[in-house]
Amino acid sequence: MTVLRRLGLLFIGLLLASILLFMYIQSGAQQAASYIESRDLVRQLKQQDAIWDNEVLKSRMALSDNYDPLVSPLNEMARLWQRLDAIESDPARHVPSSWEQERDEYLKAVKEKTRLVERFKSHNAVLRNSLAFLPTAEDDIQAQFGQLSDADKLQLQNVAIDTYDLLLSAMEFAHLTTREQAAEVLLGLNRLDVNKERLPEGLQKSVDILSRHIALILREQPMVNDLLKGIEAIPVAGRLDTITSLLDKDQEKAAAKYQRNHILLLVFATLLVLILIWLAIRLMRSFAETKRANNALQTANDELELRVEERTRQLKDTQSELMDTARQAGMAEIATNVLHNVGNVLNSVNISADLISRKLRSSKALGLGKAMQLINEHPHDLGHFLTEDEKGKLLPGYLNQLVEAIAVEQQGLTDELAQLSKSVDHIKDIVSTQQSYAGANSLVEPLVVSELLEDALRMNSGALTRHHVTVLKEYGDVPRIMGDKHRLLLILINLISNAKYAMAGVSNHARNMTLKATVINDETLQISVKDEGEGIPAENMTRIFAHGFTTRKEGHGFGLHSCALAAIEMNGHLTAHSEGPGTGATFVLQLPLKLAEGEHE
Amino acid sequence: MASHGLILALGLLVGLSVTVHAEPLDEPLKPLPPIPTLDPKRVQLGLRLFNDPRLSVNNTLSCASCHRLGKGGADDKPFSLGFDGKPVEFNTPTVFNASLNFHQFWDGRVDTLEEQVHIVVTSPAEMGSTWKTVLQRIGQDPDYARGFDDAYPDGVTQANIQGALADYERTLLTPNSRFDQYLLGDTDILTPREKFGYQRFKEYGCIACHQGVNIGGNMFQKFGVMGDYFQDRGNPSSADEGRFNVTGDESDRQVFKVPSLRNVAVTAPYFHDGSAPTLERAVEVMFKYQLGREPMKNDTELIVEFLKTLTGEWEGKPL
Repeated sequence: MTVLRRLGLLFIGLLLASILLFMYIQSGAQQAASYIESRDLVRQLKQQDAIWDNEVLKSRMALSDNYDPLVSPLNEMARLWQRLDAIESDPARHVPSSWEQERDEYLKAVKEKTRLVERFKSHNAVLRNSLAFLPTAEDDIQAQFGQLSDADKLQLQNVAIDTYDLLLSAMEFAHLTTREQAAEVLLGLNRLDVNKERLPEGLQKSVDILSRHIALILREQPMVNDLLKGIEAIPVAGRLDTITSLLDKDQEKAAAKYQRNHILLLVFATLLVLILIWLAIRLMRSFAETKRANNALQTANDELELRVEERTRQLKDTQSELMDTARQAGMAEIATNVLHNVGNVLNSVNISADLISRKLRSSKALGLGKAMQLINEHPHDLGHFLTEDEKGKLLPGYLNQLVEAIAVEQQGLTDELAQLSKSVDHIKDIVSTQQSYAGANSLVEPLVVSELLEDALRMNSGALTRHHVTVLKEYGDVPRIMGDKHRLLLILINLISNAKYAMAGVSNHARNMTLKATVINDETLQISVKDEGEGIPAENMTRIFAHGFTTRKEGHGFGLHSCALAAIEMNGHLTAHSEGPGTGATFVLQLPLKLAEGEHE
Repeated sequence: MASHGLILALGLLVGLSVTVHAEPLDEPLKPLPPIPTLDPKRVQLGLRLFNDPRLSVNNTLSCASCHRLGKGGADDKPFSLGFDGKPVEFNTPTVFNASLNFHQFWDGRVDTLEEQVHIVVTSPAEMGSTWKTVLQRIGQDPDYARGFDDAYPDGVTQANIQGALADYERTLLTPNSRFDQYLLGDTDILTPREKFGYQRFKEYGCIACHQGVNIGGNMFQKFGVMGDYFQDRGNPSSADEGRFNVTGDESDRQVFKVPSLRNVAVTAPYFHDGSAPTLERAVEVMFKYQLGREPMKNDTELIVEFLKTLTGEWEGKPL
């Protein structure tokens, strides 16, 4: 539920933030800045247009002979327009069609105005030229008149006057281009054309030139006037005003939108701030909560640690107790074995002692006492007795026989005592072996493996004999090694004992136990104990070395476990193999081969 | 009259000796503006392209083939030969100071030098090429490719080739003509005859059309204001229709851009049809068909002498 709530809150926060960002991008001074720049560009365009108009009028009034100023405003306007168009073509600024319409209208107007101005330039240039020429032409004609003879002068007086009139009316026409004036000029031209015939050659040519120029003025002046009117009528400035009003209108809209955005921005920002404040409070609360929980957790943790420590200590105690128990149990087992063996030997000691006592009881030495009694009865007549008396005569012979018998008897006792002392030695041996086992320290000493195996067998010999186990020995060529005699003995005694127990139930075939010792690859010593007993079921295979595992009623489950441990302590390992129940089992001990000094591979 | 002239001349001499560097004169003719400072990498590319015949379809013509900078930036033939060896329709105008003309070509077909490049490269009578071909040739040249990558953000493109050429042409101004020095206040530099020539130039009305910075090149004018030049010349061609070919406007028939008179002494032959082999002939034609005037004796000579003062310098040497 909290996850859902948090996700919801996150979503709302993100939504608000993105709305704010969107509105920030949407609003912005960009619009206003563009508007100001555009307005400025339009203003400059209008200015250039006015300059253009002004230059046109200056040319018209012949105030300027230079037409460059009629070209440069157009270039400037094209440049300004490019900038304006770049700004205003942004689709965000206007309804696109409205701007395109304005643009097309403006460009059309400028194009038309350009066309008219170009034509104005051409026509105005020649018109101005001809107008400027008129006084010169008139001077030229009058000078030629002056050179005429007085008679000719008088005759041609009216021609000169007509020419002068024509010049005047043409100049008037240039200022006041009316139809009437045009008719008058035309009339003057015709009259001059007629009068021309009467003029001398040179003058005729000058008048011709003048009339051609006046004809040009007559043609060009109305055209220039029309062009000026046309130029005036082109609404370039009007288009710019329309553009300005479009800009104003759209700016107003944008400003209103900006205002609205501003308010919305404020509202959303406030909402966001409120959420943030709420979150901060929540955070602080949850922080306190967390702190409390943390403290509780810390306390619980400390307790737990104490308990764990306690339990660990208990476990340690238990383990050491168990170890002691196991050790005692192991020692007990070994003691049992030892006692069995000692008992066996004691049996023979007993028998020997019995035999000796029986022999002593029926000893011929008693006959010596009887013979001495007979001698003592005859202290005075000993000679007599020995030679005369019936009984006395037999006595020396009896003594001789007795001596022989006692010598035989003595020999038998000596033999029996030797047997007895041997048995006692055996017991001493067994006990000393047991004593040497009792020490747990690792002591590496040179060992002969076959002797070790024999030792182990001897310590079990009583039991093996009782259980009718036949031991098959397959000792390979094993060199003298360095090893821990006590651990090895522990393992072997256990394995042999186990093998013996495993075959306890076997009755249908011989109870064979095979002891094998080999060296593998010159680096591993392998000793195996194989029985033909009940075998190990597969399910027990994994647990067989586990502490506390046993299949025997009186077993404590420590033997194989301690054997495995001992093997590991010697950097080796102990493994069990069995094909299954009833197929016997093989226990294999593998140890790294460590040769005793002076041994060679 | 003569005494007046003497006094005037004396006064002029005294005035000049006092102010050697006088104020620029206020005349309808204006001195050249300074050469614009443009990206030298682009100008350098323009220079290479200007002299590169790979712009023409059969690798025979470069811009410089017809606009020979050693020949006043124009051709000495009435009509230059196109890539196919056939003469083109118009006399080649000079490339010098072309950037100061308000339109390009005799009939003012285009407004900018960039467009002018486009027309010439793709014209079937001139270079006869296509942009695809040109771009391929230029783009495959590793030197060009590197140069364009350096000078432009987008490397070799049609617009950049046009731009480089136009930028180069914008640097082709011929400053320091004697007349410009005169306009800038060094009134001693012209001989009296040349000054008289200028006087005649103004008086006869040449100035009506040939004025401004480029001494022409800022308006259109009908060829034959005061007489039918084409009938008198005979053998009319479609090129003679001039601006009409561009606008289709009846009033634009035989209307042409007024050419610049700068360096006019070294750009013979004259007119759009190359029909005037000498300056004298050209001035005579102008008198007859444009001004409708009879020049007084020697005035043509004086005007020609004046026109010769309009020859400027390129790379520090007079054209």
